[in-house]
Amino acid sequence: MIIRKRVKMAAMAAVSSPRPHPVTKIYCPSHPDAVLVEDYRAGDMICPECGLVVGDRMIDVGSEWRTFSNDHVGKDPSRVGDAQNPLLNGGDLSTVIGKGTGAASFDEFGNSKYQNRRAMTSQDRAMLTAFREINTMADRINLPRNIVDRTNNLFKQVYEQRCLKGRSNDAIASACLYIACRQEGVPRTFKEICAVSRISKKEIGRCFKLILKALETSVDLITTGDFMSRFCSNLGLPKAVQIAATHIARRAVDLDLVPGRSPISVAAAAIYMASQASADKRTQKEIGDIAGVADVTIRQSYRLLYFKAAELFPPDFKFDTPVDKLPQL
Amino acid sequence: MEAGSEPLPLDILITNVVCVFRVRCHLDLRHIALKGANVMYKRDEGKVVMKLRRPRVTATIWSSGKIISTGATSEDEAKIGARKCARCLQKLGFQVRFGAFRVVNVLAVCSMPFEIRLPDFTKQQRPLASYEPELHPAVNFKIKPLTASMQIFSTGSITITASNVARAAQAVEHVYPLVLASRKGT
Repeated sequence: MIIRKRVKMAAMAAVSSPRPHPVTKIYCPSHPDAVLVEDYRAGDMICPECGLVVGDRMIDVGSEWRTFSNDHVGKDPSRVGDAQNPLLNGGDLSTVIGKGTGAASFDEFGNSKYQNRRAMTSQDRAMLTAFREINTMADRINLPRNIVDRTNNLFKQVYEQRCLKGRSNDAIASACLYIACRQEGVPRTFKEICAVSRISKKEIGRCFKLILKALETSVDLITTGDFMSRFCSNLGLPKAVQIAATHIARRAVDLDLVPGRSPISVAAAAIYMASQASADKRTQKEIGDIAGVADVTIRQSYRLLYFKAAELFPPDFKFDTPVDKLPQL
Repeated sequence: MEAGSEPLPLDILITNVVCVFRVRCHLDLRHIALKGANVMYKRDEGKVVMKLRRPRVTATIWSSGKIISTGATSEDEAKIGARKCARCLQKLGFQVRFGAFRVVNVLAVCSMPFEIRLPDFTKQQRPLASYEPELHPAVNFKIKPLTASMQIFSTGSITITASNVARAAQAVEHVYPLVLASRKGT
């Protein structure tokens, strides 16, 4: 057929003419700038201008079949297995015998016939345990995948450095989780991390400082605004109160009414003031429970804010309880 | 001492001087515990704690003859206290030779006449300064060449830890202009 002959000529032309083409490797000789169209059924690359078949037997690198999320996992016909975990020792390419699928792989007692599982190095094992632990902790406070990935990377870096070798892996994992949350711009308080970890706040704090020194990084300071949305939604406060509380806290820090107070205590006191001025009042105890702050601490910070309460509220705030009727503690 | 238009005297109070020295002979701790005055024998840790009244120092004595003395308020006082402790041991019958006296650590306290904005200070002094309000209300500031570290509070108090008194004074001089830049009120 005529087209076939043209293919041979085009192929020869492509090989003989050493014309440099910047992007693609093959191109139509009469239309070098035309973008080739792929005919997937025949595996051809065709020039749209003149219909010349320029490339023959092009291999389609897409997937062979489609997999849906509601399909049973065991039926996945993939021949390459799971993705390599880049976090483990640089990708171990040895062959492993997988779990048996059919009935023939189990002997009479129900044990699998082939029992060897490649023995991982103890380093890998420790890292995998830590990753599992990180996953569990992150799951408890519903952290997104990007934070978990960052935590895993931090843990790997710290583990390979071996500076903190004597510390418990769980403590390092918790501290890495804390740092990851900070770095992603959504800091969690130490007490929140403590709540999902078995390590004490003191130990996490110590590991945190050691890791920053080991990795030679630093983190941004926490601000009151980072915690407002979380605390307010946990308390079930409406958006207006949250905006008011954020405003109060920011103004308080700008005017430096609360020197030396932790931003979390200031945030808690601001939420208290905003909620007391609105229709949704919350007690100090409730706010203290959510924020992890003692209610005496809220009282202390509140006293400092009460002094200049009128200036702290946003101008368009609807007061349910006016400023002079706010509780004075 | 501070470079300013009016030289304001800034009092640096030395709260603690820690020093080590040797008596160059083995000591029988049991004998000291039984016969010595104002001593406490910590058998599980293998040491004897001797407290002197004047100067008010506490000396920790090991059986190897090495002694650590803490609680003095100046380097000279530390030396006097150390010698007094060695004299007490001599009176108990040991062949004591005072040697290798060395001041190891000095803790001093200083108060600035102004309050300090800690977040500003930390932002300017990264990475030497580290501030974690959740963990501790002060900024930890390290001066590497002087091997001195200080804790700076928002009220203006500064706690300095250095290897000797001269370095502690230098550390205060070093940090004064940095802290002045972040004072409250400007």
